[in-house]
Amino acid sequence: MDDMRIVERTVNTKASKISAKGVQVHYGATHALKDVDVEILENTVTAFIGPSGCGKSTFLRCLNRMNDTIPSCRVDGSITLDGENIYDPRVDPVRLRARVGMVFQKPNPFPKSIYDNVAYGPKIHGLARTKAELDEIVETSLRKAALWNEAKDRLASPGTGLSGGQQQRLCIARAIATSPEVLLMDEPCSALDPIATAQVEELIDELRASFSVVIVTHSMQQAARVSQKTAFFHLGNLVEYGETGQVFTTPQDPRTEAYITGRIG
Amino acid sequence: MTDAAVPTARPHRASLLADDARMKRRKAAETRFRLYGLSAIAVSLATLAIMLWTIFSDGVSAFYQAKLTFPVTLSSDLLDPMGNGNRDEMVKVTTVGYNKLLTRAFEAELAAKGIDTGELSNKDVNALISKDAAGDLRAMVLANPAVLDTTITAKMLAAGRIDGYLKGRVTMQTAERDGQISPEQLQFADRLIDAGILSSQWNWDFFTNPDASDQRPEAAGLGVAILGSLYLMILVAVMCVPVGVAASIYLEEFAPKNRWTDLIEVNISNLAAVPSIVYGILGLAIFINFMGFPQSSTLVGALVISLMVLPTIIIATRASIRAVPPSIRDAALGVGASKMQMVVHHVLPLAAPGILTGTILGLATALGETAPLLLIGMVAFVDNYPSAPVEGFLDPATALPVQVYGWAQRADPAFIERSSGAIIVLLAFLVVMNVAAIILRRKFERRW
Amino acid sequence: MTVFLLLCLMLVLAVAAFVVCRARALALSGGKIGVLHSLPGYYGWHGAIMVLLPGLAVLLVWLVVQPMVIESRISATLPAELTADDSARALAMADVRRLAAGLDVAIAAGSVTVDASGTPQIAGSGTMREALAEAGVALAEDVSPQILTAAQAYRGLSATGAAWRALAVLAAALAGFALAVRMTEPELRARNRVEGVVEGLLMAASTIAILTTVGIVWSMLSETFNFFSMYPAADFFFGLTWSPNFRGDSELGFIPLLWGTLYISLISMLVAVPIGLFAAIYLAEYASPAVRGWVKPLIEVIAGIPTVVFGLFALVTVGPLLRDYFAEPLGLGNSGSSVMTAGIVIGILNIPFISSLADDIINAVPQALRDGSYGLGATKSETVRQVIIPAALPGIVGAVLLAASRAIGETMIVSMGAGAAAKLDLNPFEAMTTMTVKIVGQLTGDTDFASPETLVAFALGMTLFVITLGLNILALYVVRKYREQYE
Repeated sequence: MDDMRIVERTVNTKASKISAKGVQVHYGATHALKDVDVEILENTVTAFIGPSGCGKSTFLRCLNRMNDTIPSCRVDGSITLDGENIYDPRVDPVRLRARVGMVFQKPNPFPKSIYDNVAYGPKIHGLARTKAELDEIVETSLRKAALWNEAKDRLASPGTGLSGGQQQRLCIARAIATSPEVLLMDEPCSALDPIATAQVEELIDELRASFSVVIVTHSMQQAARVSQKTAFFHLGNLVEYGETGQVFTTPQDPRTEAYITGRIG
Repeated sequence: MTDAAVPTARPHRASLLADDARMKRRKAAETRFRLYGLSAIAVSLATLAIMLWTIFSDGVSAFYQAKLTFPVTLSSDLLDPMGNGNRDEMVKVTTVGYNKLLTRAFEAELAAKGIDTGELSNKDVNALISKDAAGDLRAMVLANPAVLDTTITAKMLAAGRIDGYLKGRVTMQTAERDGQISPEQLQFADRLIDAGILSSQWNWDFFTNPDASDQRPEAAGLGVAILGSLYLMILVAVMCVPVGVAASIYLEEFAPKNRWTDLIEVNISNLAAVPSIVYGILGLAIFINFMGFPQSSTLVGALVISLMVLPTIIIATRASIRAVPPSIRDAALGVGASKMQMVVHHVLPLAAPGILTGTILGLATALGETAPLLLIGMVAFVDNYPSAPVEGFLDPATALPVQVYGWAQRADPAFIERSSGAIIVLLAFLVVMNVAAIILRRKFERRW
Repeated sequence: MTVFLLLCLMLVLAVAAFVVCRARALALSGGKIGVLHSLPGYYGWHGAIMVLLPGLAVLLVWLVVQPMVIESRISATLPAELTADDSARALAMADVRRLAAGLDVAIAAGSVTVDASGTPQIAGSGTMREALAEAGVALAEDVSPQILTAAQAYRGLSATGAAWRALAVLAAALAGFALAVRMTEPELRARNRVEGVVEGLLMAASTIAILTTVGIVWSMLSETFNFFSMYPAADFFFGLTWSPNFRGDSELGFIPLLWGTLYISLISMLVAVPIGLFAAIYLAEYASPAVRGWVKPLIEVIAGIPTVVFGLFALVTVGPLLRDYFAEPLGLGNSGSSVMTAGIVIGILNIPFISSLADDIINAVPQALRDGSYGLGATKSETVRQVIIPAALPGIVGAVLLAASRAIGETMIVSMGAGAAAKLDLNPFEAMTTMTVKIVGQLTGDTDFASPETLVAFALGMTLFVITLGLNILALYVVRKYREQYE
């Protein structure tokens, strides 16, 4: 793994998938996120970096309204998915989350079989009419998550019996089984060992072909390895947002430079 | 890139803003599920409310009692035949004599006020006075012979059926089918109410009287039961708290991890779930049949209940000992305190509020426990107060919940009122204990 | 000297030992407490323990041994016709004891006097029975001369025994006292010795749990064996009729009672499990903190209400309601006491039990699983039904088993709401009865511990204990396994 390797930066003119304007988040009296504007592009890996508590995970959870599950949380501003405001009162977060999937920091497979883990999303959203269709979705998702070869002979065994890296890939398979348009990943490798991390990173790059991926990471190396666009958050502000190569090599803001060179964070 | 990563055809995406049919079904399912939850809570709370309401509406009337108020001249001719005021000789006049005096005074009062007795015979008229009234009067005179030859305004218990009539339990319709009362007597009672002789009054006797026989529900009271429950609580507290705290300290602070302590642990959690009736069998077989302790006594009751609540108290005490952070133990041991000193000087004082709360709640369950007391004979009819401690602990007594059960088994519906009234008293004690526990917890609550 | 007086005397000695030993330790230290191994107070406690421990030990042994010795000596002097077999001997000895106790009372009251030789004389005229009755001691029949002689001997032996007892106890206590004083040296590890004794006491307290279990098993096992020696076990366990009577041809079949118990428990579980579970789910997953803060304690109020209150509720409200609005219109019977009445009320009693256990268990399901499900676009109910409940299932099963064990062991509600008729019937509006009701029925009122009709209660108790113990152990095992999964 040669650190700071920059992957191909072909950010062709791609359409905007999610567009956030003036997003403010409050947790009770705490102002967690201040006036954030971001455009997430299609078929692009976007990385959110920044020190702990900077608001990057909070912002990520705004994108599929996972913050709704926290009673004290209030979100202002507008976030649109394909031009539709996801905070519109008519929008059911349940449907939104089917289109904006999420992978969490710690692998959290359900205490069910591998098959049932992956089939859970398609079942609740009614994506398969027959058992055969469901089987196909499960297989495709596991293949996309690079888990098929390891798991095909033990689909009926519990998902909790897999290793950490396999569990995380199972969670990714579970998330992509609902065919989302955007995949949010909240520090997906922080609980994994380096080998598992490498596998997941490789996977993320492949997933870019089908989805737009947003990844929150603590590791600047990881951001540099997998993303095309990078946003740097600091103390609840979006400090800098641009192409990864540009953010890492010629940051515009002194705070970004300070963070990248290791002086803050 | 593997071929699997080629984007698959996506299902058609509808707008986020409008729900499709499937989404509508899912939302309906969601609402239904939520409603199930809400109705489960509503059912539980409604049942609780209905139960408390029926018991209160049945029981509140037990605190009022129909009484006849009329002047009685305590003539010494009848009550003190020797005429020297000697109590020992006056004892020889039985309630029959007092009854004669009472009925005469009652008839005189009726005549004086000009109340029409209708077709009723004298016997029917006097049947309005409780059979217990003469006994009450006798006890009053014997307690204070100085009242002889004076005229007092006696407030005498009315018969149970009359009491029921004032409370709406007995009506003209029921009286027609009732051997103990007739509609004419009820009409007569109406006239007595108008004349101010018969009225419903606050009933202190309910708290102080002992139990009464099946025919005299109007005289039945909770005196023995309250005293019995009080004795039980004192004994249970005295026996349970030291043993419970000692056992908890040992298990939390001293016990080595071995099979023996494992066995104790398993025993404690199992004993907490053993049906209470089994403790009753234990009490009957060991404390009464084997050790020969007196039946129906509060001592045996307390022993049985102590064994029963001990696991609960140990579990609560251990939890509060465990809540004391290890850093405090390390600090005490670090300055050279022995383990025992660490426990006595630091752990116990910090755990004390929790122990106290747990103990009060344990005692509250003990106060409401009935089944084991039935087996050791505390359900027997007891109309003598137990004497003062310590000998009183060996006297037969009953307890509040057992009295509730005992009265509920009687045939006369008047006892259902008494039973519900006894529950109100019991619940009042429980509320006081629980509120005390809550206040203690609030006051001393400590977050580490 | 009475035991109480003896205890008081020992307490005085103990206080004295405390003072003496503490003073001696202080004197030996010569004002420098630092030279003592322990604080002076510990030397005092050491002295007090050295007095109390041997004294109490001797007293305890004496209290157990003396009655046994006296019994055997007295029963040897009784005429042969009174001690023909064990039960006759026991009866005669009971008479002797009762008469001896009665004599004590009568002598204290003055209706019986003692002459120089210690033989009791009746103070007034009449029989011994009348004299005793005057002192408030009621005897069933007049006293036979043999019993009177034995009772006198009994009193004599008891008095001698009591005197020797006092002597022995005090000697032991004083010896302890002297030893404690001699041992009080600066090097004595007084604190360690005191703490050792205290730790022993703590350990003794913790073994009460085991003693209780042993007591339960022993008390029921011996009488159960007695019962099975009079009544065949197979007839008990497989008999289909329960009809005890006192003519001696009782049929004590256990099956109708088991059926009633299980039927009532089943109905109670049908009430308690869905309501309790849904209440827990709503409180854990849907309710706002404010609602939860109010509703949870209110539901738990149900758990704090004594069962006898539920019993009265069943008797006065639920029973007549079911009879008037369900059983009679449907032609299913006219009994207020019924399986349905008791079942529903026990169900209500168990709602808070299930809901608070289930609430704990649901809250123990990691938040990550909920997030995972919500992140996939599941609704709350889908998450609950397909993720949380399956994950919490072992714990919930444990809670249900514990609730079932409570329903089976419940006594007051079935006593007041289920009826007393042992029947094998399917109609839930029929009065039936349970094991617990029959235990209460056979053991209250006049009981004869030699008849199978009374002893059957112990067999029932033993069966009940075994059933509930099995359920509890299974439930605790399942719950423990569940907790380990998420720790």
